[in-house]
Amino acid sequence: MAFQLLLNFFIAVVWMFISVSFTASTFIVGFILGLIMLWIMQRFIPGRFYMSRVWAVIKLVVLFFKELFMANIQVLLLIIQPKMPIKPAIFALPTSLEKEWQITLLSSLITLTPGTLVLDVSEDSKTLYIHAINYEDSDDAINSIRDTFEKAILEVSRS
Amino acid sequence: MKTNDVILQTTTKVIFFIIILFSIHIFFAGHYAPGGGFVGGLLTSSGIVLLLLAFDLKTVSTMLPINYTVMVAIGLLIALGTAAGSIFFNVPFFTHAFEYFTLPLLGKQSLHTAALFDAGVYLVVVGVTMTIIQSIGEDE
Repeated sequence: MAFQLLLNFFIAVVWMFISVSFTASTFIVGFILGLIMLWIMQRFIPGRFYMSRVWAVIKLVVLFFKELFMANIQVLLLIIQPKMPIKPAIFALPTSLEKEWQITLLSSLITLTPGTLVLDVSEDSKTLYIHAINYEDSDDAINSIRDTFEKAILEVSRS
Repeated sequence: MKTNDVILQTTTKVIFFIIILFSIHIFFAGHYAPGGGFVGGLLTSSGIVLLLLAFDLKTVSTMLPINYTVMVAIGLLIALGTAAGSIFFNVPFFTHAFEYFTLPLLGKQSLHTAALFDAGVYLVVVGVTMTIIQSIGEDE
């Protein structure tokens, strides 16, 4: 990933030197040319073509905004009811993510979507403790997080 | 009871860069816009304090092996030297000089000796803040 990005920057700089114009537009043209070349040569370069990873990041951002919108509507529907039928609970979410930044990202995404809140990470970083505002079933909650955020983060970090 | 600070530490590693960049920007913006040596120094030390909160004193002192009291002395010397430089040109103490230079990469820039004085202020502020916080933190 980082190597491909460096190579792409290098190609863009070489393109600027070849065309003897040091402007941003020339750099962008060289960068796009480098992208096409890297896409052709991807079987010789270790790792996955890095634009697919950028695409995965974009998908994760879109998913996050969709979840944010839906969860806000759900919380709104909860709090405008006179009885406030909330069932607060704390449950443990076993996570398969290993790297520090993945756990941080997952915790931030869970915390930023209303209704759920990460309280703590266990000592071995294998379990997240989550507080939910309206808790019906732990399997449902765990599976919904698994299917959305964890899958998207794994998709980003797939080498 | 040990806690797992994985979230705090990971975000610190990212945010530290942003704080330091912003502090340098504020330091150089001080002549024409709000900012300057004092605010820049406080922002830099706040970045180091964030490191101290997320990690511990030993780790940070191995990362930045700086003697902050020496830093204060150097800052005071720079400020005094900038002020005393005016004596050699037969102008009153603390008179600043500035000149426009065309620098490579940066273009036409005004170089002002007040920036050097500000660098002295910056070093003193960082040194004093970190000395206070480290002395309190090392107390057992």
